[in-house]
Amino acid sequence: MSAPLGVLLAGFAGLGPAQDHQAEMYLPAFADHPGFTIVAVTDADGTTDALRERSRSAAVRLGVPYDDELSKALARPEVDVVSVCVPLTDRMATTTAALATGRHVLVDKPMTLSAQECDAIAAVAADTGSVCLPAHHWRFHPAIRSAAAAVAAGRVGLPWNVQADFLVAGGPPSPLGELANFAVYPLDVIRVLTGLPVTQVFTYGEVDDVAVLSLSHERGMTSTVTVGRGPALDGGPGVALHRYRISGSHGLLAVDTARPAYTLRTATGRRNGWVGSDTVTALVDELHSAIRSGRQGTVAPTDARAAAAVVEAARLSAEFGRPVSLKEADG
Amino acid sequence: MEQSSTLGVIVVGTGFVADSHLAALRSRADAHLVGVVDVAPERAAATARAQGGVRWSTDLAEALSWPGVAAAIVCTPNDTHSALARQIAGAGCHLLIEKPLATSVADARAAADAFATAGRVLAVAHTHRCYDYARAVRRAITSGEVGRPRLVRLSVLGGWIWPDWRGWMLDGRRSGGHALHNGVHLLDVVTWWIGCPPVSVFARGHKQTSSELDIYDHLEMVVRFEGGAVAVCEMSRGHRPATLAMRDVFVQGTAGLLTLPWDADASLLIDERGPGLLPTVASDGFARQLDAWLAALHGTAPPVDGHDGVLAVALGVAAERSIVAGAPVSVADVLATEPREVPA
Repeated sequence: MSAPLGVLLAGFAGLGPAQDHQAEMYLPAFADHPGFTIVAVTDADGTTDALRERSRSAAVRLGVPYDDELSKALARPEVDVVSVCVPLTDRMATTTAALATGRHVLVDKPMTLSAQECDAIAAVAADTGSVCLPAHHWRFHPAIRSAAAAVAAGRVGLPWNVQADFLVAGGPPSPLGELANFAVYPLDVIRVLTGLPVTQVFTYGEVDDVAVLSLSHERGMTSTVTVGRGPALDGGPGVALHRYRISGSHGLLAVDTARPAYTLRTATGRRNGWVGSDTVTALVDELHSAIRSGRQGTVAPTDARAAAAVVEAARLSAEFGRPVSLKEADG
Repeated sequence: MEQSSTLGVIVVGTGFVADSHLAALRSRADAHLVGVVDVAPERAAATARAQGGVRWSTDLAEALSWPGVAAAIVCTPNDTHSALARQIAGAGCHLLIEKPLATSVADARAAADAFATAGRVLAVAHTHRCYDYARAVRRAITSGEVGRPRLVRLSVLGGWIWPDWRGWMLDGRRSGGHALHNGVHLLDVVTWWIGCPPVSVFARGHKQTSSELDIYDHLEMVVRFEGGAVAVCEMSRGHRPATLAMRDVFVQGTAGLLTLPWDADASLLIDERGPGLLPTVASDGFARQLDAWLAALHGTAPPVDGHDGVLAVALGVAAERSIVAGAPVSVADVLATEPREVPA
């Protein structure tokens, strides 16, 4: 058995300073995976003192060195993989720097909010042959994976419509809006389920942290996506509603990612317990598998680009008050 | 009770949906069926016989002159609604009319105005407001538990298309299009739930059962309301398999999230054909609707009045226009630009 891959944790942030996806999501998944070992912690150059303090204390807890410059960390020969979770404005630079040194990269979502920047990242990854995995982890959900396989096998015929809901309960609102924060997830899942690129977007825009996207796809398929953040609900912050209904020429498939789960009721409350495998663990497992087998990841910068282009077009649609084609948004 | 002391009702139009209204009427002690009207004499006669030998006619004016007639239930093709409604108002009768009130805002207004002038009760059969599910959602909202509704999804999916190409529902000139024929149910209910004036509609349509359809058998209608709430209404008669019947609701408010999933009111049945749903017994929406209309004759507000009926038509027209334009359509524009027709 080969030695575990060395992981450099770059940044402990999210879309806003309140978020820390590294600590909440990626670190635990890497730490638990037998194929990885965490070897160092760093930050993007120019990171705030507050975020650096967060990273330093994480390094102390983990018993690994903290490098205050990204280049120093990337000079460490024991680093095979970089988990990029720096603030959004630094993601492009950090990711391309890591890829340029031949490291494999996992990037927090959204990888960037610019389709052009996604292209630039894809180009660097292609040059070095490194694996670059945007953290579109929901596509690894057991219900999504079986649904994608069923659609691909023709179980519902030719898909002509998808309805999707991705609503989160409570938690701090994203400073860039929930369209920027969450839309990538349902957009990525629809892409995985149907393989049909989006051609046009209409939205009234984001009101009170919620948006509805009306999408046109190739082959005449349409989809409607609700996305956003709602009030805090019993059971704490988390996904409140995350589901897909795929209508096809010969059938219908309704997928709810609240399943598989059990329900536990007691005298004082009620909670659901997850039965299926964890999606971030599956994401990290995919990274390991792609690196070890010398292939590209099944999720790639092109997937991040597809989502970013839709979000860019959605912003224009809200501004113009009319549908916007992706071609128009790209131009 | 003597029949002469109860409300005399005629049913105009004896097609598919008339059966539901007639069944509801039969269960009433305070109203009775005087007779039926249909342009097809054989259908009128057959229905009259089935209803115990009541009168029948092909002429509404004649039926309105029958002794004891004080009210009418109209379930004719959509494009006939406004003129029939005005004729009934002119005869001094009350009316429960199938949705939509008309196929244009001008015609809907003319019908509503005629009843206001005549001082008679007009109720529009947006029956979903009388169904258990819609009332339960409305109760949860008005109780304040959900908070202010911000995002609503209502999907009503079916797989059955109307009988064949001769069905008037397939003719957009007669039905007004699917947004007016069935879409108005959803547009009306979400407006009732949200409780704010609708501002704009963005709609898309699929011709799923056949590319030769004149109407869109699948509709996605996104409605924006004053204050920023948004509703996603999905109405389908284009799904497969043809036996599909599926409803899905959620309401996200400022204080809570209400979900009413597709299997919320059904049991699981596994038989020789595999797993399926066995719907639980629900209240009769048509009976409840009739009850509310009859109560309105004694002074209570009808569940869906002329104003609601006009607004539902405007929303349906906005949806149809949006599909053609490929752009959102302002409800105020629809209400303003439709010429006001002088009642005949």
